[in-house]
Amino acid sequence: MSDVVIQATGLSKRYRLGVLNASSLKEDLILWWQRTRNPGALPEGEHSFWALKDIDFEIRRGDVVGLIGKNGAGKSTLLKIISRVVLPTTGSVRGKGRIASLLEVGTGFHPELTGRENIFLNGNILGMKKHEVIERFDEIVDFSGIGAFLDTPVKRYSSGMYVRLAFSIAIHLNPDILILDEVLAVGDAEFQQKCLDKIKTMTEEHGQTILFVSHSMHSVKTLCNRAIYLERGQMIAYGEAESVVSKYLLREQVYVPVQEFPDMMNAPGNYTIRVNKTEIQANNRPVSGPIDIQDDISLTFSFWKLVKTRTSLRVKVVVINFLGEGVFGVHSREVTCEEGLIHGRCRIPKGFLAEGSYIIHLIFLEEGGKVLFEFDHGLSFEIRSSRRVSNIGRWQTPVHPDFPIVLTQTT
Amino acid sequence: MWDWEVKKDVPWFRLGIRELFHYKDLIFRFTKRDLLASYQQTIIGPLWVVVQPLLTTLTYVLIFSRIARISTAGIPPLLFYLPGIILWNFFSECLMGTMSTFQYNAHIFSKVFFPRLTVPISNVLTCGFRMAIQLLVFVIIYIIYSLSGDYDLSIGAVIGLVPVALLVCTGFAFGAGLIISVLTAKYRDLESITQFVLRLFMFAAPVVYPSTIIPENLRLLFWLNPLTPAIETFRYAFFGSPAVSWPYLSLSMVTVFILVLAGLMVFKQNEIKVMDTV
Repeated sequence: MSDVVIQATGLSKRYRLGVLNASSLKEDLILWWQRTRNPGALPEGEHSFWALKDIDFEIRRGDVVGLIGKNGAGKSTLLKIISRVVLPTTGSVRGKGRIASLLEVGTGFHPELTGRENIFLNGNILGMKKHEVIERFDEIVDFSGIGAFLDTPVKRYSSGMYVRLAFSIAIHLNPDILILDEVLAVGDAEFQQKCLDKIKTMTEEHGQTILFVSHSMHSVKTLCNRAIYLERGQMIAYGEAESVVSKYLLREQVYVPVQEFPDMMNAPGNYTIRVNKTEIQANNRPVSGPIDIQDDISLTFSFWKLVKTRTSLRVKVVVINFLGEGVFGVHSREVTCEEGLIHGRCRIPKGFLAEGSYIIHLIFLEEGGKVLFEFDHGLSFEIRSSRRVSNIGRWQTPVHPDFPIVLTQTT
Repeated sequence: MWDWEVKKDVPWFRLGIRELFHYKDLIFRFTKRDLLASYQQTIIGPLWVVVQPLLTTLTYVLIFSRIARISTAGIPPLLFYLPGIILWNFFSECLMGTMSTFQYNAHIFSKVFFPRLTVPISNVLTCGFRMAIQLLVFVIIYIIYSLSGDYDLSIGAVIGLVPVALLVCTGFAFGAGLIISVLTAKYRDLESITQFVLRLFMFAAPVVYPSTIIPENLRLLFWLNPLTPAIETFRYAFFGSPAVSWPYLSLSMVTVFILVLAGLMVFKQNEIKVMDTV
């Protein structure tokens, strides 16, 4: 059960930068000349960069491997090489078993054809034979839940239906290795959960191996047993998911519970506002890791008002999640103040924010609502629940506000 | 011990025939898709397959036969032009389709692996299917002319060579298309150049004139074009004239065979590599 199914050795990928034009023909000829005179050498072109550099790893059967790293770290390039759609510049990847890769949702769907025809087309593209598609056809339709639209051209599908159909096809390929590039982020929460459950059973019951890119540290930690952390083409860490994620968060400083700028001239801001300090605390104590969902969160901030006259201003606190979606925003009352240092404080009651990662933006506005300064990425933090929250039904909501619903018996 | 390996160098001579066979359903699926999708939102739909060559033929009858008075070797002009046009259209569609393989499919190719040869092969099948329908129409017209009794039309024993003529045509377009597809993937200029050359090339083959009008000193060069023996064999099969040249037909088969082999090798070498530049 623990044999190696994917092995990468000395894997590197170099891309050429810039546009192709007449000079690239000249460069090609020069490179070709250098290569014929000195075979084996890799001439270092000036317009190139390494998307991946000397990557080595082994993945075992049944592993669920999360690929993490910032944009441009080489995650997609790595998946593309394993999926055989681009060739490495050096090194090799070897593996066992059938691969299905979903690098993008609905690749190969033809917009003019119906859902039914596209199931066959896509199934064939992914390597299924006709009889295999016929055998699994009902299952695919069932899982995707698009039954009623089976004979509608897919160009009339919503993006959600697109994802569901594409994912159903890929999953019913019964691949030995499934490769996913952030495709899950597109579907709705209910379908995502369905897919995650399916992935769990695939790995646990059938020993399938899964490799996927995710920006959600939460899903990497809950789904994966292993993780690969890439940074600018280099592999920073590979190992047990929990420890790799911690390393990532530490190194990338994803969670910033406090920021302080003692020197006014170098503080973020402009000629009207300069930020002095922002800090998040849980139960009035400094934060060093994830915040428990049962803790009161307080946000304190201070800034210099540089406008010399007595004017009024207010501050808006916006909380967004790691997908970049706004969760909520609150405004302070408008206050009239002189030039000088101003403090602010905001409390987020316990249990209000759901589990997940959040970023806080501070927006400074003057009278009339004109924006003076936006302090993006002021702070970031993660909320975690120590005990399992009771099942909240179909809809997972980002916030759980505490205002009453009044029930009255009328008859 | 390993099922697959991804590395920089693809060995020459690995044409991946077995892998291609695994994906045979995909080839037919692509063919079906192209046939279904190309007539969406048209009024007469699949009828275009037949109408287009007939219109071209009528135009040629008017221009080359009536106005320019180019010989049709005693064959009714309509019957003379139709097979040449059908074969030429097939050739040029096959070549253009094959050579655009990477450009038209770059989006899919950059996301999913499957043997890339499935695309040009299915293109050949699509073009072949259209040509088959056109040939059927030609045969119907041919029969009508024969029954009218005005012309002496005799089918020769050479009719058995029609498949050979079609294969030479296919192989020429496919092999050349594969090589050009790899080159155009990087340097788009080649696409325009090819389109231009192709337009001229039609006049280098006996599409709108019989091969007998070619002057003696150019005849060798003219017959070296594999399309010439292919089209002439085809005409000879139905009209008994002008004569087909056996050595040239054999030579064209050899040329085309080498071309296809070279095309396959160049294509397989570069099918993944070109994705960095498409």
